[in-house]
Amino acid sequence: MFEQHKRAIRIALGDLFQRPLASLMTVLVLAIALALPATLLALLNLGEQLTSEWSHERTVTMFLKADVDAEAALLLSATIEEIEGVDSTELRTSADALAEFRLYSGFGDALDALDENPLPNHILIHPSEISDNDAIGELVSHLATLPESDLVEYDQAWVERLNSFTETARRFADALALALAIAVVMIIGNTIRLEIATRHSEIEITRLVGGTDGFIRRPFLYTGMLYGFSGALLGWLLVSLLLLFLKSPLHDLEILYATSLPLNPFDLQRLAILLPAGTLLGMAGAVLTVGRHLATIQPE
Amino acid sequence: MIHFDHVSKRFEDGQYGLKQINLQIEEGAMAFITGHSGAGKSTLMRLIALLDRPTRGQLIVDGRNMAKLPNREIPFHRRKVGMIFQDHRLLNDRSVYENVALPLQVIGASPRDSGKRVRAALDKVGLLKKEKSLPASLSGGEQQRVGIARALVTRPPILLADEPTGNLDPELSREIMDLFLAFNQIGVTTLIASHDLALINQLNRPVIKLHEGSIARV
Ligand SMILES: Nc1ncnc2c1ncn2[C@@H]1O[C@H](COP(=O)(O)OP(=O)(O)OP(=O)(O)O)[C@@H](O)[C@H]1O
Ligand SMILES: [Mg+2]
Repeated sequence: MFEQHKRAIRIALGDLFQRPLASLMTVLVLAIALALPATLLALLNLGEQLTSEWSHERTVTMFLKADVDAEAALLLSATIEEIEGVDSTELRTSADALAEFRLYSGFGDALDALDENPLPNHILIHPSEISDNDAIGELVSHLATLPESDLVEYDQAWVERLNSFTETARRFADALALALAIAVVMIIGNTIRLEIATRHSEIEITRLVGGTDGFIRRPFLYTGMLYGFSGALLGWLLVSLLLLFLKSPLHDLEILYATSLPLNPFDLQRLAILLPAGTLLGMAGAVLTVGRHLATIQPE
Repeated sequence: MIHFDHVSKRFEDGQYGLKQINLQIEEGAMAFITGHSGAGKSTLMRLIALLDRPTRGQLIVDGRNMAKLPNREIPFHRRKVGMIFQDHRLLNDRSVYENVALPLQVIGASPRDSGKRVRAALDKVGLLKKEKSLPASLSGGEQQRVGIARALVTRPPILLADEPTGNLDPELSREIMDLFLAFNQIGVTTLIASHDLALINQLNRPVIKLHEGSIARV
């Protein structure tokens, strides 16, 4: 039995390397089909992480009138911290805002051309844990009545929009993953169908000398698994390279929002999912094809 | 060893390949089957190897009823029957060695054991030096001998040869027949379909003559 598995693997490998270019093309197509949903899912996880962080971070921003100087702003900030339902406040002076803008916008030089700092002082107000949206709403209207206040912003709507967007995107990703899994099964099935056709006479003769269905089927199953495995391996590499490419813009995002985005391009956990998934899909493609085609080849 | 009891084979198109055949071939016997083209020689052999099922009657091979053998047991039955064809049926992209080794791989023999048995079989048919050749580079007689080595490498108890000398000159034909005689000497039950009456008559073995699917003379 062990001998027969060794033989089957040898034949499967032999077939793969017989026409290396054609095999490589097939593996590449499989890799792309597997990499696409894997990349999408990785990005979605990232997006979901970000929105969940943002939706917990319920911050009210109060922009101050231009005539409020830094000292008065600091005082105001301390006063607001005492209001019921407020956990803490942070003062961002116009100088802070300018430095941040300079760092991330890339318009630093343009800013230098201005005589005055156009950015206002503002106070970030973090409501306490227990405050619900209504309480925050009241707080916002109260803050808006303060004489120093220019504009008070509390916008959860966009977080909700983002949420429903990622929800939709996740469904799309799931459907895409399913469709591409079916495509992988069909591509491998078709490759094996051609393999069976080229080995028609060998199958016939093997039947003549008493080869069982299992013996005849085995090399094709290994071929399917080998294609699935190779496609998954290359697919993982593709995902990894793509994410690596996104790493540096994402890093900027991390600094900007002071969060950590756990993006690990060469994620071994992803590999641990992709490899068995690819191998199984390959086997499924092989089983389906072999089941339909081998029985029709009988010795003359 | 092989027992036909009122066996008929009717094809899907209504044609009869064999009609009411009664025939008994003892273990270790050797017999020839002759008859005009279309007489049913190949059909008879195909039934014994279970390449086809009889439509009527009872065919017992090595104690088993061919009509009732489940499909999954067909491969194991075929391992008992070595088959040789006029057109050799070799794998043209495989070496002589690999061709002869196939039946051993099928039964799961180890490569070492296989090596010994393949070489022993090739030695018997006089092709030890050609083990690395491709079949296409061999003469017709040599190819036929590769087929014989393949049929006998697993030492099956039954050997069926369907016009094994059809394309060979008289001298080569005689050589091939001598090989069959030698295997029969060591106990292989042998059935040979052939048109070559001159050759058959030299060998002094039972001859079964078929005519339009029936036995005309034994
Ligand atoms: N698959 C088939 N379907 C229908 N008829 C068939 C089939 N196989 C054989 N026959 C018919 O059965 C009869 C016997 O054929 P068979 O091949 O056994 O003859 P044969 O004695 O081997 O002839 P030859 O010497 O030409 O090889 C013929 O009339 C043939 O046409
Ligand atoms: Mg015939």
